[in-house]
Amino acid sequence: MNRIVTIITHSPEETRFLGQYLGEALIPGMVITLDGDLGSGKTTFVQGIGKGLGISDDDYITSPTYNLINEYSGRHCLFHIDLYRLIDPLELDDLGLEEIIYSQGISAIEWADKLPAKTLTSYLSVKIVVTGEETRKVIITACGRENTDLIEDIRDNFKEKKWH
Amino acid sequence: MIVLGIESSCDETAAAVVENGEKVLSSIVSSQTDIHHRYGGVVPELASRKHIESIVPVVNEAIQASGRILSEIDGVAVTQGPGLIGCLLVGFSFAKAWAWARDIPVVGVDHLEGHINSVFICDNPPQFPFVALLVSGGHTSIYHVTSHTQARVMGRTRDDAAGEAFDKVAKMLNLGYPGGSIIDELAARGDPKKIKFPRSYLDKNGFDFSFSGMKTAVNRYIQNHQDEYQEQAADIAAGFQDAVTDVLCFKLMKAAQEAGCNHIAIVGGVAANKGLREKIRSQAVDQNLTLHIPPIDLCGDNAAMIAASGFHYLKAGHQLPLDADVYSRIQK
Repeated sequence: MNRIVTIITHSPEETRFLGQYLGEALIPGMVITLDGDLGSGKTTFVQGIGKGLGISDDDYITSPTYNLINEYSGRHCLFHIDLYRLIDPLELDDLGLEEIIYSQGISAIEWADKLPAKTLTSYLSVKIVVTGEETRKVIITACGRENTDLIEDIRDNFKEKKWH
Repeated sequence: MIVLGIESSCDETAAAVVENGEKVLSSIVSSQTDIHHRYGGVVPELASRKHIESIVPVVNEAIQASGRILSEIDGVAVTQGPGLIGCLLVGFSFAKAWAWARDIPVVGVDHLEGHINSVFICDNPPQFPFVALLVSGGHTSIYHVTSHTQARVMGRTRDDAAGEAFDKVAKMLNLGYPGGSIIDELAARGDPKKIKFPRSYLDKNGFDFSFSGMKTAVNRYIQNHQDEYQEQAADIAAGFQDAVTDVLCFKLMKAAQEAGCNHIAIVGGVAANKGLREKIRSQAVDQNLTLHIPPIDLCGDNAAMIAASGFHYLKAGHQLPLDADVYSRIQK
């Protein structure tokens, strides 16, 4: 079974749409890690996830870099987390991050490599690579035992996708 | 009425003593700027443990510096949200317990409303109604303010806060993080017209902001000019700052026009940015608007603004019940 799928998007709208597709398929408690350079579209992708989760258009999904944790309510709660500003893993306890990660909400985490090893057991890794001014390579990997069906499903739906 | 203010919503533990919502007797902020530098610029000051360590000495220092004695304090105002739950709870629980033990009232204050009220701590406060631009590391919004406790959001950022875009551009130019204030200094030495960055206005009739694309444009410029960008740093900073402040200034002026206000204000950490202050000041003169900016040390997160806000709730007889809780999200 294949655990990895790569999709090419050609605009922020397409990146957002891919996020939305994923958001619609997410089940409670799922964790998504996001990697990608500055300006690669991580927040754009999470905006799509939010849309897929039915979060109101009035709730702007904004960068969590400064606030660390942004919380939104939709079909499931969405926690958008950015660990960039953390340097001490001890601070993670203080933030109550485990309570969030192991909750029934959806956690979308940027800079998840700052988490202590084995904090995450089963999660989706989303890597966004800048390949052109607006084009991005989005690599989604099912890490751990679960979510392989979801990867298959995304592949089936996006492999031959004619973006309009 | 003398109010003790307490703030712990994010990075800073702060306490202040303010008289009648406008006269600051003391304002203490446990800023750790030197520590940030030692760690290569990343802020290590987020842990609620740090707030727990700081809260008692910071409050004691604020009371001592105010020149007043404990029994002269009439009430307590504390940040209730939005912010990090763990951090908020430290100040909030402390404030409730402290007020309860002293048998004085305590009120909860919204952090953003606190920023708006920071503009009343100056010699020349605005008249209601006025339009306020709140611009900081975590927020960028425009408010129509009709009283000390009533403000309507006219627009807000859809992606990055302006202060965050400044910090990230500083990072791209290897100036450390957070480096928004360094961009301001660097920009003063550069030519804002040399490198032109796009202005993102979204809907020119609306008041929402988007700074993510402008940040990305700087990143793209740096990627495409790997050999020269170090020497051009001042011009890049100036060009970027010019683009961001153009948009902030345009929307603030337009908001004042739409709301029919003659008074405008800039509050929040980025209100300390000289480029922004100068641009808005000169436009305000052109358009016959009176501009109000809090003193520099009250632009960033502080507790004097919380005390200034809380004063109006205390005066109106509000009081938090002991089982009141903090909130993480922006209240609409």
